[in-house]
Amino acid sequence: MIMFENALQFIGAFVAFSIALVAYKGVRETSSSSMLRLAAAFVFLGTGFVLEGLEGVGAFGSIPGLEVSLATILLAGLFLQTVGYFFLAFSHVLDVVVSRRLGPLLVLLPIFAVSPTSVDTVLRSLSFYFILYGVLETALSYSKTRNPNTLFIATGLGMLAAGWWVSLAAPDMALLTLLQLLMREVGLIALFVPVLKFSFRKPGDLLNAPV
Amino acid sequence: MPQYRTQGKIIADILTTARDMNQDGQGVGITTLLRRGNVSYTRMTKLIVDLVGAGLLLEETLEKNSKYRISAKGMMFLQQYVQFEDFAQSYGLRL
Repeated sequence: MIMFENALQFIGAFVAFSIALVAYKGVRETSSSSMLRLAAAFVFLGTGFVLEGLEGVGAFGSIPGLEVSLATILLAGLFLQTVGYFFLAFSHVLDVVVSRRLGPLLVLLPIFAVSPTSVDTVLRSLSFYFILYGVLETALSYSKTRNPNTLFIATGLGMLAAGWWVSLAAPDMALLTLLQLLMREVGLIALFVPVLKFSFRKPGDLLNAPV
Repeated sequence: MPQYRTQGKIIADILTTARDMNQDGQGVGITTLLRRGNVSYTRMTKLIVDLVGAGLLLEETLEKNSKYRISAKGMMFLQQYVQFEDFAQSYGLRL
């Protein structure tokens, strides 16, 4: 199970950095601030995944002079992921398409996450709320654009949110841990679909596409 | 709620008009660009100067009338813009 979880962190890092790379190319080509926020979000997410993955395989303990406590590495990884999900949600808040309807939710919902429990739980709760917000905004965006890729992303974020929720609700049950890992895996694969489409698109396909 | 267009979207709209409305191959006039681009005359003339300067539009002047055609570089920009617009839209965002 732990091996699977570590593998998932590295797959997550690969997916996140791939999306960040395409978004960064978008920033260079179009100077779009949306793409900049998307790139920043996935760089944070990817770094968070890498930290958690390295901590999982015990890489930090084996490097002399880098004996940092496991709890610190885990917290740093979780913190970076939370920042990444915040940027993802923040991108939607700044986008005027639907922000005025759902924007206040981003401010209100995390209040419930601040409880006298551990920092770890607070970060997980915040990540859950940010992903949930992303799901709502992306689903609303799909209702406007009917772009099938948007539906993929909404579904992927939904699976990630469900995975986070299961990990928050029942952190110690083995079967549910497996279930949440599978949910997060499917969610990450769904997030990767637009990158695949982007990579394998023939240049000529878009010459006559409507803008 | 009104949907505000970004500068990139306005440029893409102008280039699309220059590409799609150039049916006789002689280019399109500023009136067509204004009508389809939906920006003011002052802003359009400034944008056209910038686009011609950047090599995205080609300008041809015949008897005091300027006509505009999309260049190969403009086609390339438009192609990339559409790609990234679709990519951003996938994540529920606008470019």
